[in-house]
This record gives sequence, structure tokens and C-alpha cells, in this order.
Amino acid sequence: MPKKINKIKFGFPGDSFLNQTIKLFEAAGYEVNLKEGIYQLNIDEPEIECNLFDTEEIAQYVEKGIIDAGITKTAFILDHKIDVVELVQLNYRNETWRNGKVVLAVPETSKIKSVKDLEGKKILSRVPEITKNYLRKHKVRAVVEFTERPGEPRISALGDALVEFTSTGETLRTYHLRVLNVLMETSPILVANKRSWQDKWKREKIENLAMLLMGARLAQEYSGLMLHASNDMMERVLKVLPSLKKPTVTHLRGENWFDVLTVVKKKDLRNIIPKLKKIGCTDIVEFPLNKVVL
Amino acid sequence: MEKKKEKLRLGIPKGSLQDYTLKIFKAAGFDIEVPERGYFLKIDDPEIECFLLRPQEIPKYIGEGNLDLGISGDDWILESKAKVMEVCDLKYAKQTIKKVKWVLAVPKNSKIKSVKDLEGKTIATEAVNLVKDYLRKNKVKAKVEFSWGTTEVKPPRFSDAIVDITETGASLKAHNLKVIDTILLSSTKLITNKSARQDIWKKEKIETLSLLLQGAVRGQEAISLMFHVSKEKLNKILKFLPKFKSPTIKKIAGENWYDVITGCQKKETRELIPKLKRMGCQGIVEWPLVKIVP
Repeated sequence: MPKKINKIKFGFPGDSFLNQTIKLFEAAGYEVNLKEGIYQLNIDEPEIECNLFDTEEIAQYVEKGIIDAGITKTAFILDHKIDVVELVQLNYRNETWRNGKVVLAVPETSKIKSVKDLEGKKILSRVPEITKNYLRKHKVRAVVEFTERPGEPRISALGDALVEFTSTGETLRTYHLRVLNVLMETSPILVANKRSWQDKWKREKIENLAMLLMGARLAQEYSGLMLHASNDMMERVLKVLPSLKKPTVTHLRGENWFDVLTVVKKKDLRNIIPKLKKIGCTDIVEFPLNKVVL
Repeated sequence: MEKKKEKLRLGIPKGSLQDYTLKIFKAAGFDIEVPERGYFLKIDDPEIECFLLRPQEIPKYIGEGNLDLGISGDDWILESKAKVMEVCDLKYAKQTIKKVKWVLAVPKNSKIKSVKDLEGKTIATEAVNLVKDYLRKNKVKAKVEFSWGTTEVKPPRFSDAIVDITETGASLKAHNLKVIDTILLSSTKLITNKSARQDIWKKEKIETLSLLLQGAVRGQEAISLMFHVSKEKLNKILKFLPKFKSPTIKKIAGENWYDVITGCQKKETRELIPKLKRMGCQGIVEWPLVKIVP
């Protein structure tokens, strides 16, 4: 009989985070095979068994130990006071590599202009505990009721205000809702069950996955940079380059010039490349990265 | 009058092989534009005429001399019985998920346990010749019927068994079928014909293309890895690196650290990066490769 392989059960976000999470796994070097019709997802790593769940369910299933690890939202961890090992925040939302927000919104025509006007009103919320804390902080008393996703279409009939996740704000606009305040930023987060974490094999497997996903995620924000600089430029060049990673400086054969290789945040390159050019550097080459593990 | 330019007529497979083929051509340095409709593709090489055709037909057109070069699978090359010559294989490494597998399947409760039990039975398939060859090899006489698609729904009413492509086996399972034999593992091939081989200009053009395409296939499967390691750990780390290519080791100017650059297979990084990190390497950076020409 074939030997049973050790596996970790992994909660893969099947809701609005699905596409971006698949992109992240692919960037980390996994082949992802999604069978939409039968709600099944496989990766080419037999030791990680993926199950598609909602991000909200994943938080609870990981806490209960139904699955060993998974990707959920920081807002759910906070709201349900979920007791899990929090590994890495992966910073993306549906369709972009930036974090989403939890916002308080009211109908465009509503007389509610600030949080103070919520006194005595009814708020539908995807994250009731976070909402209650928020109200407490502003010394406002209101009824907070949990709502299923999506909250936007329910608001006109069922409440005065809504606390919902948003990325582009398009759904809010479609339902004529106006954002009153941002409660928090929320990020996808890789979490592990506390008992699974005690198992050495599982722990290493989950740590490795976290390292590779975060490495792939970081690589999207960084580029490789290669350039040539002469001896007398080196001091100024090293000052311009960020110290995130020690630049690799090697001597070019038979010349008074050096080859410098490093990684730089993409956004900083707009300023750095012109500066390097001004110093006199030549052969400046920027190239894409797959993973950055510092 | 301007001399008429020689052209190579190339067949690109439509359907499941299309994306992979276009990706490999792009990495090889050729941009191919696919119009919404029509089968005439634009390629940024004036010496190539490019057609989008079903992979089932490409071997036939090459065999007849209507195309000089094309891409298809082993399955359709064998099925067509066309007189074609293999230039090279375009799957460099084994792809576990996307490998094309032709299997013989029967209903779960069927009395057919092996190919021998097929004597006098009916088999539905899209690849009639493939199945006939298989039966001949096993000295079994059975009726092979062409199926226009959705072959898995044919048994038990319309056939006793089927031969079809499977990836995960999910669709077979859903139709209550079990696999009793694998008849072919099909790979992607670049193929040509005898007359193109005898034309000096075409032969050379095909060889160049083959070199670039194979380089691109290898490039897709591999990556480059760079990291820093202290002098004490250098030897221990070097023992760990894959033997794909000897690493480049450079001393970092003014420090007791070394910079190591090496190549490895994409999948190997999953094991390698966590291992290197645990052994004390720093600033691990992975970047993609486009072509490798050994």
C-alpha cells in the first residue's frame, strides 16, 4: 500500500480575494489549477492540500483546528478575537496589490453628517466588535447588527449606516452610499492553528510557505539594479543606494571601475536613477525580481 | 522587380496549447498577435507566415507540405499518421499538473477489468487511430467509434469504454468512470517535413527557431538566485546548491562576506530558499530568466 503522505490542510480564500491569491501563489512558483465548476483548487505541491473557503470562515476554521493554516483578513482576526499564530501580512485586496479598508458609510441623502449623528441609530456591520469599539471611542450609543456579505444592498431597508469592506468604492457608489469615515486598513494575513504550530513538520512547512509568499509579495515592490561606477564615484553611489541589502560591489577586470548590484524599492528608483546618472554611473540596468527574502 | 522573399509557413495550435505556445514564442523573441477572428496571425518576423489551426490538423498540413513547421502534441501527431519529422520537444521538465494523459476508462461497476476484456466491445474516443493502434498492440479486437466530444458521458448507454484526456481525473469520477490503463503521455513537439529539411534556407531558419524556442522553454523553467553568505558558511552552503550550473562567487568589497549567484529550477527554490535562510544566508533575491542556451 502506498505510504500516506504528511499533509497540511490549507484554507485558500475562495471569495473576492481568490484571483489575487492565485496570482501570489503563481508568483511564488506554484502551479495553481482551479476548477471553478466544482469549487476545487489544487497546487503542484502534494503536501499542501488547499480548500476553498470564505476568508471569514478561514479565520474560524484555523482557530478550531479544522484546517492547519490559511489566509484570512486582519479585520476578522481583530473582530472575532481569533486566537491563532499570525505569520505575515501580505498586503493586497481584490485585483490590486494594496490593502483594502473598512469604512463607515451612509446613504447619500442621509442627514447623518458625522459619527456623532449616529446616536440611537441602527448600524449594519460586517465587523460588529470593531464597530462597537469605534462607537465607544467616539462616545456614541447605537445599535450594531451583524450583516452578511454584501451589506450594500441591505442598507436602505434595514439600517441607517453600514460598516463594510471596500477596495475601489465602486459598490458603495452603485448603491448611492457616502463614506463617512475609515475605521481601519485591512490586509490578508497568513495564520496557523496553535496546535499545528507545535508540530515540527507542520510548522516548518507553514513557515516555508510564509517565507515564499512574502518573498514573492516583496519582489513586486522591488527591482534589481545593476550599474558601473568608477572608484572616485563609489562613495557617493553607496550613499544614494538604500541600505536594505548590502550592494554587491566587484572590481571590473583591469580597470578602475566597479560593478554594483543591489535591490531597490521600485518607487524610489524614480529618484535614484537620475541621481546615479548625474554622479556619472554608466550601464544602469533595472530588472524584475521573483522573490526577495531579506 | 524586387526579389520575392522566402517565407516559412508556421502553424500555431489553437486551444489548450495556444497560451503556452505564445508565451514560449514571446520568450524566444517573437511577438505574435492573435486577431479576434480569423486564423492569420501577425508575427514580428517578415520571414514567417503564421496560421492559427487546431492541433489535430497541424500534423496533416505539415505532412502534406502546406505548412513547413508547426507545434502539436504527440497524440495528434500519432493520430494523424502524417509524415512529419520531430525538430525538438518543447516541454523541458515534467509538468505534473498540465501533462496530457490519455486513459482508458470504464464505468465503475463494469466487468471490464483490463484491456483484454474489451474483445468485441465498443470504445468511444476522439483519437480513433490512437486507440486502434493500442488495441492492435494488445491483440484485442473491438469497435472504435469516433466521438465528437464530451466523451465521458457516452458509457454505459452509447459505449462500453472510452479513451479520453484527463488531468486530475475529476471529470471521470463525476461520470462514475474508473481508469484501467494509461495509453499515452503526450508532450508538445515542434515538427517539420522532409521538403523543408531539404531547403537550405528553411532548414537554417528552422534550426535557429528551434534553438531559441528550446532556450525559452529552459528559461521558463529556471531562475537565477543571488544571496550573501559569510566566509565561514560559504563551503557548507556551496555543497547545497543544485548542480544545474556552477555558481559565481564574488567577495563583497571590504567585508568578510561573499555574494553567490547561481541558477536553479523554479520548483527547487521552494526547498532551497527556506534552507538557505535557515543556514544564515542574507539578502536572498530571485529573478526570472528568459532564455538559457547551453
